[in-house]
Amino acid sequence: MLKEYFNKMKGTTKSPPAVSLAEIGWSWVGAFLGIAAVASLNYKILENSDLVLIIGSFGASAVLIYGAIKSPLAQPRNLLGGHIFSAVIGVACYQLLGSHMWLASSVAVATAIAIMHVTKTLHPPGGATALIAVIGSAKIHNLGYLYVLMPVGLGALIMLLVALLVNNIPQSRRYPEFWF
Amino acid sequence: MVSVTIEEMPMDTRKKSDYQPSLPERYHLSDEDIYEAMKEIPGYLDITLGDFKELYQIACRCALQRIAKSVTAGDIMTRDVVTVKKETPLLDVAKLMADKGVAGVPVIEEDGMVVGIITERDFLVRMGALGTKSFMGVVENCLVGKGCVAAPIRAQKAADVMTSPAATVKAETISLDISNLFRERKINRVPVVDNKGRLIGIVSREDIVHSPLISKTF
Repeated sequence: MLKEYFNKMKGTTKSPPAVSLAEIGWSWVGAFLGIAAVASLNYKILENSDLVLIIGSFGASAVLIYGAIKSPLAQPRNLLGGHIFSAVIGVACYQLLGSHMWLASSVAVATAIAIMHVTKTLHPPGGATALIAVIGSAKIHNLGYLYVLMPVGLGALIMLLVALLVNNIPQSRRYPEFWF
Repeated sequence: MVSVTIEEMPMDTRKKSDYQPSLPERYHLSDEDIYEAMKEIPGYLDITLGDFKELYQIACRCALQRIAKSVTAGDIMTRDVVTVKKETPLLDVAKLMADKGVAGVPVIEEDGMVVGIITERDFLVRMGALGTKSFMGVVENCLVGKGCVAAPIRAQKAADVMTSPAATVKAETISLDISNLFRERKINRVPVVDNKGRLIGIVSREDIVHSPLISKTF
């Protein structure tokens, strides 16, 4: 039985093939434009305000919605749902358990995953969105539940818009696979 | 059947290389096939070769079941059925079966109701077939005894030897259930009847083998 257990660690199959140069190029263009959109708004317009439009987890979302656009994890339902549900959970955990940061962090991420599963919105960057709500800067903490709408909701929406515009330009690509 | 299939061999005598996979597995893809297919599809596919293979095998099994369920007696039955009446003399029955080259005939009433079925076996049994009640059983009996072994039934009628009631199926019975019926009852053909029990066709083992829906798909 122990042998069986360790045998599982060997893996069973090989890694998928590399993508074409065109795919790499379009992934780059999409990610550049998507992050540029939220980053420029954040740094050019909101710089001196209390508001934010970019958070770290958007970098992870970019990998999916510009680099792995067929993935179920990269579809609009998952992108928006995953970020928004996780943001709510993150803020709630910080506000309720903030006196024990280790507990607030771990409960936030674990619960975010569970809720994303339940709602069929699994989106890996959502875990980061929940965690950022807990460990994030004072600026993030001060947003309270506004964090859910902005940066999270609005930022994800802008990145989705860029994904729709860019991912459908080349003939070999189409996005999304499904909406909801 | 020329060779013994692997399935009939006891489990422990099988070498690993002899293992005969189940039907969906036999149509299985190699990792290389999937790898090549993934290369042909542009874009990053968020699935491992192993997961795809598993999905494929389960989907293939579902498809086989769906196809097996979609073929019904009505699709594969022979509509032009050779039949006899209860009072048909056995000599005429035998002559008809020989002429038409059929091994079984339903016995029907005037209104088409199926009352029984006569097959080669019904003759063989009454001709003293031994053992498995096959033609070779008759030969054996013939070699032992004297004269025509069919003599005792010469004057009889269809009703005297028929198997009654005959197993029947409806036009909408699925081929999978018919196969099971053949195996369970050890029969080779079954009359197809309408809701009132009137003959509309017959399905033989051959009809199932040649079922166009099955042979077209595989």
